[in-house]
Amino acid sequence: MPLVYDELRRIAARYMGRERPGQTLQATGLVNEAFVRMAAERTREFQNRTHFLAIAALSMRQILVQRARAKHAAKRDGGGHQVTLDDFSAPPSAVRPEFGRPDPDRPGDVNVLALDQALTRLAEFDPEQAQIVELRYFGGLTVEETAEAVGASPATVKRQWAMARAWLKQALESGAL
Amino acid sequence: MTPQRWSQLKSIFNGAIEQPADARAAWLRAECGSDDALRDDAERLLRSFDTLGGFLDQPVQIDPADVALAEDWPAGHRVGDYEIVSTLGRGGMGVVYLASDRRLGRSVALKSLPALLANNPEMRERLKREARAAATITDPAVATVYSLEEVEEHLLLASEYLDGPTLRTLIDAGPLAATTAREIALQVARGLRAAHDAGVIHRDLKPENIVVGAGGTAKIVDFGIAWLERPDGTPHTKLTRDGAMIGTPAYMAPEQLVGQPPDARADIFAFGVILTEMLSGRHPLMAGAGTPMDPALQRIADRARETDPTRRYASAGELVAALEASSVSSGTGGETAIPTPARSARFWWEFHQAAAAGAYAAMLVPAWLAKAQIGGVEGRSVFVATAVAAIAASMLRLHLWFMSRQHAGELMWARRRSAPFIRLADILLVVSLVVGAGLVAAQSVLDVVLLALAVGVTIAFAFIEPSTARAAGLDTTGRV
Repeated sequence: MPLVYDELRRIAARYMGRERPGQTLQATGLVNEAFVRMAAERTREFQNRTHFLAIAALSMRQILVQRARAKHAAKRDGGGHQVTLDDFSAPPSAVRPEFGRPDPDRPGDVNVLALDQALTRLAEFDPEQAQIVELRYFGGLTVEETAEAVGASPATVKRQWAMARAWLKQALESGAL
Repeated sequence: MTPQRWSQLKSIFNGAIEQPADARAAWLRAECGSDDALRDDAERLLRSFDTLGGFLDQPVQIDPADVALAEDWPAGHRVGDYEIVSTLGRGGMGVVYLASDRRLGRSVALKSLPALLANNPEMRERLKREARAAATITDPAVATVYSLEEVEEHLLLASEYLDGPTLRTLIDAGPLAATTAREIALQVARGLRAAHDAGVIHRDLKPENIVVGAGGTAKIVDFGIAWLERPDGTPHTKLTRDGAMIGTPAYMAPEQLVGQPPDARADIFAFGVILTEMLSGRHPLMAGAGTPMDPALQRIADRARETDPTRRYASAGELVAALEASSVSSGTGGETAIPTPARSARFWWEFHQAAAAGAYAAMLVPAWLAKAQIGGVEGRSVFVATAVAAIAASMLRLHLWFMSRQHAGELMWARRRSAPFIRLADILLVVSLVVGAGLVAAQSVLDVVLLALAVGVTIAFAFIEPSTARAAGLDTTGRV
């Protein structure tokens, strides 16, 4: 797990050096590149490719949530880099409700912190749906790959995915997390 | 939502989306029967489903910087010769830690600048060049850059650890008294002069980058690395996903905002804005009038932030001269003097250390009396054990007291290092006092005295010291 986590970060660092600042890439590309790099040396640690992808999706979710929390905390403290005794005391759990709203300038983009909270709640009563969302959204897995990872038929994954999206959208919009 | 309820909802949802749109309402009524709450939930979910649009349709878009910078080293983590003590903060270009340099035993502010550098030799070279130049600046108003090191794929910049509020915190508390503002401005101007002489431009001077220590010493931080925030030289206008501006264009000179490469006069412009803000309590671009400013200082601030760079002071040297020649009309400006954060709490902690050192030394007297009463080898042993423990505990505390007064920056490190020894000495002291009490004749009053001292020492080090340390912000288990 920490290995995949570190590999994702290393690959991102390479992209960061190559691309112009502000350019984004899709989770799918990053996760698959990590697999290609790690598969060569560490196949034995993973049962198969989907097992790896599931771990990568979880890592990606953690990385993005951690980063979003850090940014959130830094912003509230005025955004300075030099920090003093008084700064950076914001608890990571303190996510304000307005953060749940999608950015109007970026349709289809959602706030990672709010989504993470909603997913955690969804997992309480439907862990499979929550995992499907994690795989599809944070890992960029296809329906077929997801089906293999969770051990269900593609048709079931599609149905579960539809309901999870509907519930999450409603949860984020109502802000009642 | 209970799992049973959820699975009911799920089967209704799955059934409903199979129905043609116009038959759905009737189908729902039939399925849910008299369970209105269930029907409401299902209808809400279906409405949400109908308006999904592109929601979560595509996998998350990732800014590589977000992934690359999302590291966090826990306390105790070792990287190169540094040991992480705590996380101080995170900026756009990496994480800042309080760390101890294990070779030299001093506290440093450690900036981890990873990622950027993995595959960009050009940027790495530039950073090295700038850090090297910044390290040559020797001025009390510029935070000292110690070193730039490459450890695995990380680039680490170690610099002086400063313990104090930023100028931002002071300004937020209200306009500064004119004499205080002048004092800070002079130091900053001299710092800029030294930096510009060394060929280093700050490029991102702002109140957040000026730390004001107890006693009013100002220090500029982040010399030579501000450009990392926007390496291509473009102004800070990129919006983050949350819509917040990265950095602060508010202190950028007009020529910098239109994308011209900044020179020393950009720092002078930022200085003018900061001086205005210190005096009036508000940024010059903000609406409304702030506190009336001292006229002499206002003239200096206005000239420093002229729109046309050629009309500003030509160098930080000129700025220093103007400030030195200025005299402040008494009683102008705001009230805010330099606060001394946690000063009184730190005082009590220091007092505790000094008082404990004195009290421990005084324990030699009852220990000596006990030696005489007990006599023989036992008496001598009790005395020696008590004396060794008392003197060791007392000296270690005096050392901490001295560090706190003279080298506050290294106090954290000194505390971490001496904490186990102090604890050991305290325990030895308590044990030898109790043993002594047991050995002296029971009818003697010394018996009671020694026991009382043992209890007193226990209370002091188990309860009082942790609370004074916590109040002074020195608790190692919490934040710095």
